[in-house]
Amino acid sequence: MDLPKIALLGNPNVGKTSILNELVGARLKVGNWPGVTLEKREGKFEIDSQEVYLVDLPGIYTLYSNGEEEGIVKNYIFSEKPQLLVNVIETANLERDLFLTLDLISLNTPMILVLNMSDEAKALGVEVDIQKLKDITGLPAVKTSAKTGEGISQLKKTIKEALKNQPLPNKNLVISSQNLSKPELEALRSNQIKSILGEVYKTNPPKNTLTDRLDAILIHPVYGLFVFLAVMFLMFKLAFDFSSPFMDWLDGFFNSFLSPLVGLLLGALPVSEWFIKLIQEAIIGGVGFVLTFVPLIAISYTFIVFLELSGYLPRASFLMDRYVQALGLNGKSLIPLLLGFGCNVPAILSVRLLERERDRLLTMAMIPFMSCPARLVVFAFFASIFFKNPAVVIFGLYIFGVLMAVLTALILGFFIKTSEKSYFLMELPPYRLPSFNLLFRIVWVYVRDFIYKAGTFIFASAIVVWALTNLPPNREQSQTIAAQIGRAISPVFEPLGLGDWRMSTSLVPALLAREIVLSSMATIYSPSLQQQENEEFKILPAIKDQLLSLAQAFPTAILNTLKPSSSAFEANSDLEPSLKKEISKHISAPSALSFMVFLLIYTSCLGTLGVLWRQAGPKYTLGLFAYTTILAWILAFITYRLSSLIIS
Amino acid sequence: MKQSLASVNPGSVVKVSALNYENELFLRIQAMGLRPGINAQVLQRLGRNLLLKLGNSRLVISKDLAKMVEVE
Repeated sequence: MDLPKIALLGNPNVGKTSILNELVGARLKVGNWPGVTLEKREGKFEIDSQEVYLVDLPGIYTLYSNGEEEGIVKNYIFSEKPQLLVNVIETANLERDLFLTLDLISLNTPMILVLNMSDEAKALGVEVDIQKLKDITGLPAVKTSAKTGEGISQLKKTIKEALKNQPLPNKNLVISSQNLSKPELEALRSNQIKSILGEVYKTNPPKNTLTDRLDAILIHPVYGLFVFLAVMFLMFKLAFDFSSPFMDWLDGFFNSFLSPLVGLLLGALPVSEWFIKLIQEAIIGGVGFVLTFVPLIAISYTFIVFLELSGYLPRASFLMDRYVQALGLNGKSLIPLLLGFGCNVPAILSVRLLERERDRLLTMAMIPFMSCPARLVVFAFFASIFFKNPAVVIFGLYIFGVLMAVLTALILGFFIKTSEKSYFLMELPPYRLPSFNLLFRIVWVYVRDFIYKAGTFIFASAIVVWALTNLPPNREQSQTIAAQIGRAISPVFEPLGLGDWRMSTSLVPALLAREIVLSSMATIYSPSLQQQENEEFKILPAIKDQLLSLAQAFPTAILNTLKPSSSAFEANSDLEPSLKKEISKHISAPSALSFMVFLLIYTSCLGTLGVLWRQAGPKYTLGLFAYTTILAWILAFITYRLSSLIIS
Repeated sequence: MKQSLASVNPGSVVKVSALNYENELFLRIQAMGLRPGINAQVLQRLGRNLLLKLGNSRLVISKDLAKMVEVE
């Protein structure tokens, strides 16, 4: 690919992403920087029918410090050799941003300057003489506001000319840092900035800005905590309670509409029943399984991206720092961890809001221990069979999961070395109201990325799980590959009090999602309980039903959100009591407890594994899967032995 | 009167006179806007951190880093 490459560079929070969005529009893409979990945003656009590639480099303050972002930026500049650097500057903070600009000027490569957020600067009484800035630096400069769209067409024109003319900075500003000691370099830099600023920058700051007024409450040591809790509560309500009716609708659409519809159509063709089952259950079921995550991901992302663009997130980490620093975590880690109680999938996706690789890796390892509703359904089922106080048992399991998450963070934190000592150094950007355009563009890009990258993993694995539980064709449950695997691994589960092959077999389909363990137990323990759905499928009434239930999803979503409690903590198992009776005949209370602990700890969820795979790669995912499985075994073993002593 | 930034009370505006740095971290601190000659206002002290206002930007810095910043 020999497209001209352009790199956007600047301090964090100067609006690089919105500039990228304005330039590339719908061709915005997200990915990861090689070898790390740091997000990469890029895109392509056309200048006079010549396609160019644009990448948003991580925000940094100087080239000459040794953080991971700086490493990525330097590596990109020196190995990819972009044709043009676009230095995005937050106009109101020109004094600060000039430090990086002068670093970049010293590279002596073609560059243009973008004075972004000019609308904000104006409100702060800042005036920048752009003509003088051009004269001093020798570089083209454009005033923009990605928010109002001001200067964007001018920017395109400037980029086009710069690609042709290759503008280089004034030689007298270029400092060759090799011959200078750090103090000398800094003193020189400081003087350069002062002299440039004196020429081009005027300010007449207002006394009390909106940010000052909001900060008086939002980062107040006491009120701020209440606001944080309220924001988290709102996030939880929107992410889970608002999205659940839409997820239910999608689930119904695929499984009770599309699947029978395709069955009806294929039934008219000369194909085997088994083939129809494959299409209905594996393909349509698999696609449906991936797509039911979409409302959840879209809504939780919208909220998180809003928090990120609004400037609240760094404040949350400033505010919460003292509560989580003992764990070596960032205050922002609380957001993904809390989301984990609703669903681990968006929780893992949201770790991208953490700046440091170490924080991301630690938080991702903790999330799978946050018990989600899928686990709650299983806990509620078993606890209600075997224990007088199911709520106490379930609450205990939630707490146990959190403790294991903390333990995991401490262990992993020991292994992930960091060059950075535990200090805190972060900018709090001004509050900004993100534009809908940018918000929805980013959310859409993420959802698309989930479907393509994590979705394909989840879909492929779902088909494998289906094949295991349905092959060889037309056999009883006890004859499938899954059952054979179940029998083969049952000795491993013997010490946990789960030696019954039917228990271990039910774990195979439960890889898809934990709650499936119940329906698979139902089919394995008592095939007679299965109700064959032989209702006749009629197309027109079915379409009407689908439309009606979609229409109902909207008011339900709103009502759900307004309810003070969250449905993420309600377990409604519609399984028949006869299965409960059947299960209580086959396993004991200590076995049930051991099974719940095993299922709590072990990452039995393709969605979680899929997003981990996308975010952190195969090695991390498989490592974490192995770790949680071994840990689950050990903990279930201990639970079984101890509870056998106590209960019997 | 010279003192360390870490001991400044909230609300006060001080002038940064020197950064007694040992490592490249202090280059980053300068790049973030905390430089000799600049005015810094301490907005808040919370836990192990300070919140500063530098021009139009706000910077959170650990107290142990702020100890190395000399102000007057």
